Amino acid sequence: MVKINIDGQELELEAGTTILEAANEVQVNIPTLCYLEDLSVYGGCRLCVVEIIGEEMLRPACTTEIEDDMQIKTHSKKVREVRRNIFELIISSHDIDCKLNCLTCARSTNCELRDVGEQIDMQEMRLDAIERNYVDDSSSHSIVRKPNKCIACTRCIRKCEEVQGVGIFTKANRGPETVITTFKDRGMGNVDCTNCGQCIQACPTGALHESYHYNSVWHFLNDSSKFVVVQTAPAVRVALSEGFGEQPGTVATGQMVAALRRLGFDRVFDTNFTADLTIMEEGHELIDRIQNDGQLPMFTSCSPGWIKFIEHFYPEYLDNLSTCKSPQQMLGAVTKSYYAEQQGIPPEDIVVVSVMPCTAKKFESVRPEMDKDVDFVLTTRELIRMIKEFSLDMMNLAEEPYDKLMGTSSGAADIFGASGGVMEAALRTAYEVITEEELENLDFTAVRGTNGIKEAEVEIGDLTLKAAVVSGLGNAKELMERIEAGAEYHFVEIMACPGGCAGGGGQPIPTNQEIVEQRLNSLYEIDKHKSLRKSHQNPEIKQIYAEYLGEPGSEKAHELLHTSYVVRNI
Amino acid sequence: MEEKILLKEGIDIDLKGRGGDTPPAEPNINEYDFFVLEEALNLDREEIIEQIKEAYLKGRGGAGFPTGLKWEMALAEEAEQKYMICNADEAETGTFKDRYLLENVPFKVLEGIIIGAYAIGAEQAYIYMRGEYARPRNVFSKAIEEAYKQGLLGEDILGSGFNLELRLIKGAGAYICGEETALLNSIEGKRGRSRTKPPYPIQKGLFDQPTAVNNVETLASCREIIRIGAKEYKSLGTKESRGTKLVCLSGDIWKPGVYEVEFGQVTIKEIVEEYGGGTRDDAQLKFIIPGGASTSILPAEKLDIPYCYETLAQAGSSVGSGAIIVVDDSHNLFDLMVTVSRFFMDETCGTCFPCKEGNRQVNHILNKVADKGGFSKEEVEIVKSIGRTIYLSARCGLGQTSLNFIYSILKNYPDEVLLGGDKHGKD
Repeated sequence: MVKINIDGQELELEAGTTILEAANEVQVNIPTLCYLEDLSVYGGCRLCVVEIIGEEMLRPACTTEIEDDMQIKTHSKKVREVRRNIFELIISSHDIDCKLNCLTCARSTNCELRDVGEQIDMQEMRLDAIERNYVDDSSSHSIVRKPNKCIACTRCIRKCEEVQGVGIFTKANRGPETVITTFKDRGMGNVDCTNCGQCIQACPTGALHESYHYNSVWHFLNDSSKFVVVQTAPAVRVALSEGFGEQPGTVATGQMVAALRRLGFDRVFDTNFTADLTIMEEGHELIDRIQNDGQLPMFTSCSPGWIKFIEHFYPEYLDNLSTCKSPQQMLGAVTKSYYAEQQGIPPEDIVVVSVMPCTAKKFESVRPEMDKDVDFVLTTRELIRMIKEFSLDMMNLAEEPYDKLMGTSSGAADIFGASGGVMEAALRTAYEVITEEELENLDFTAVRGTNGIKEAEVEIGDLTLKAAVVSGLGNAKELMERIEAGAEYHFVEIMACPGGCAGGGGQPIPTNQEIVEQRLNSLYEIDKHKSLRKSHQNPEIKQIYAEYLGEPGSEKAHELLHTSYVVRNI
Repeated sequence: MEEKILLKEGIDIDLKGRGGDTPPAEPNINEYDFFVLEEALNLDREEIIEQIKEAYLKGRGGAGFPTGLKWEMALAEEAEQKYMICNADEAETGTFKDRYLLENVPFKVLEGIIIGAYAIGAEQAYIYMRGEYARPRNVFSKAIEEAYKQGLLGEDILGSGFNLELRLIKGAGAYICGEETALLNSIEGKRGRSRTKPPYPIQKGLFDQPTAVNNVETLASCREIIRIGAKEYKSLGTKESRGTKLVCLSGDIWKPGVYEVEFGQVTIKEIVEEYGGGTRDDAQLKFIIPGGASTSILPAEKLDIPYCYETLAQAGSSVGSGAIIVVDDSHNLFDLMVTVSRFFMDETCGTCFPCKEGNRQVNHILNKVADKGGFSKEEVEIVKSIGRTIYLSARCGLGQTSLNFIYSILKNYPDEVLLGGDKHGKD
């Protein structure tokens, strides 16, 4: 144990503790910018510097480990002066040439620079703003990068490389010309980006944000000749309320549906409905592969970040991907066919909008294999903007239900928003379909939780089903290596974002492990309290098969609900 | 005045090639006696380190860390692989002593590298050479090649049982890569940026193995210490500054060049006037920069001090790399400040915010100031406070020293730089 004194507080901590961690023990939150939990320590911003009594130079709290009898001052006069100066320097080259940049910024409500400014009591700005005149990178369908707002803290680089195992970003040039860029400056749309949006979650400023669709959505909401349908993903309902000041995990399903109607959507459907539909199709596909010596393991296909990842890095495994479209695309497809037919609306007049916790869904919606299923994709954050622009007191709206025909869902569909949820939902249905017996314990707890890689063996009749559940693309890479080394599974669920969709790149900022866990808990609570908890028992699912699709895996189902993949170059 | 000769011994050409008809002949390995190396390889590692410690040699690259201590710590580290690295990325402004050694006495440097590697127990060595140094690179590459042929590198060197592989790495033009941890990153093929210390290279250096990084002149000096013995070496110089130092004299003087001086025996004024032949065209000397642009200036009236670590520290500057740049009073102070600031702005690696943004802002302010011909009091305060911030919080020595020159100009010539103040200089 190491004895230190920090801001007058004596304490003993384990060797290897950093000053930043030690300060937390005495309820001091030293300001940081380049530091982010779960990423390697960079030590670049220097905002966390502290004074050690007896030393002239200040030391960064994030990288400095405590030593015996260290006397640490986290907020001495010297420290405060240096912090303010560093902050002033950062701000001066951060696109603040007073074109109301702060007000129009993607991060106007949750900018970490503003938080730090408040924390260090920034009182004046003595320096000239330095314009950098970089060009925005709009090459990606999912993400926009604004280099003028980038402070080069490298959190995006580290997140992409260390957590997601992709690594599309790099630093280029030297000195103040140092920039974050992509390979050969090609832009995010022209490199191996999976569009997962975890870089946005890591960015402290407005240098990265999703490619906005909400202005187009406003346009069609005002066009009376269009029938505008919206669908909401499972993970949105447990995160949307954060944009309105609620605790993470506060469920706002009914309020969200009401708000969407107020915004002018003609129908509000639930992506959960097609999550149940996915289980029907994917469950039968799995059974078919197992019973007829098909390609195993079968990988899930709901996460478009994962799809692009495997297309880039493991294209030799494309036959292992389930051919099922994701629930978002399925809902678009059945809206423009089944629903259009039922209601007598010309499909060309229908505009399908989806609200997703995801940035990769934007790319998915423009994939040529299933173009036009979904027209616009809003992130949870974009929907928050729209509701705010409508000045709705959302949390006090009376709860409303989803629209009929594609609005009913099982608890199995709700947990699609959690890592392990697709697996659990599939197991509930597969068990009963294969054994024709009722499943007694519906909770497959082995596949729950935020562990990056989870494995389970489930007895289904004579079959011992070997399953793996992975979230985070870095973990996906590790699992693929295990498979290449000979590990055998029947069914593998992979979601690109840590924790699953609840931790998606389109979710409210901040999104961190603690917040993700709160959102996950709420999803499981919703499931627990539903009487309908198995996809195959959803009456609207029974109805769509009876009236339109026939059997799971039928020709019609294949035409509408299945897709194909492409080999991409690295 | 006479030059004390240690490092320059064996150099009979002494800049004859400069502007002359025939370039100096390339050193020939067959004309060089490796007796010092042979002697060293017969000593225990500890004995060599003891000699270097006793000689009290300080690193000649600029930071002045005791070499013997560095080697002792490196030897004490347990590891499968250790590395000895010769830092020949000489890029400090006005510094050209390492080039001089590499071109003229490459075998002394080579001996120094081998002795150092042997002392710390490293069987792998690198020399990292500044990219622009074409001639030194040619000379030294040939020296390495010849040394392998003669059994001075490779396995069982001179029958001692000691093995050493030496590779030359060419830098790509970044000043930061002279900083030892950035240099390590560069050898590893990574972006040249400093690492967070601790861990120090001694503990976790190249490829995470214990590594000693020593300057060219330092290693050549180690060879000389083994040759003449620590006692004799120690008898040269002063208490805190033992031995001799290569001084690179440049600027507004008649005879620029590399001179070897015994610490404490000559004053800076004597170095400038007698070695350098005084300022050119009888101009008035304004100040000198004693150790490259990362050190603080010394004004003309403060030059009557013996040249050694302790007096320069007392005068508020440092020996640095040994680059004495002489500046006469014909220059515009603002131009000088803008030039130095531009250098540091371009060369900061871009990792730590105070250094990257601070040097950019200071350059921006200095350009404004140069345009209007002087600082406002507020601008002086801003530059000083940015300077203090960089000094206290930057990640590595580059940032910490980047404003020394500018800060010391502001301090020494307040009336000349202030807008509307009295201007004594003839600008």
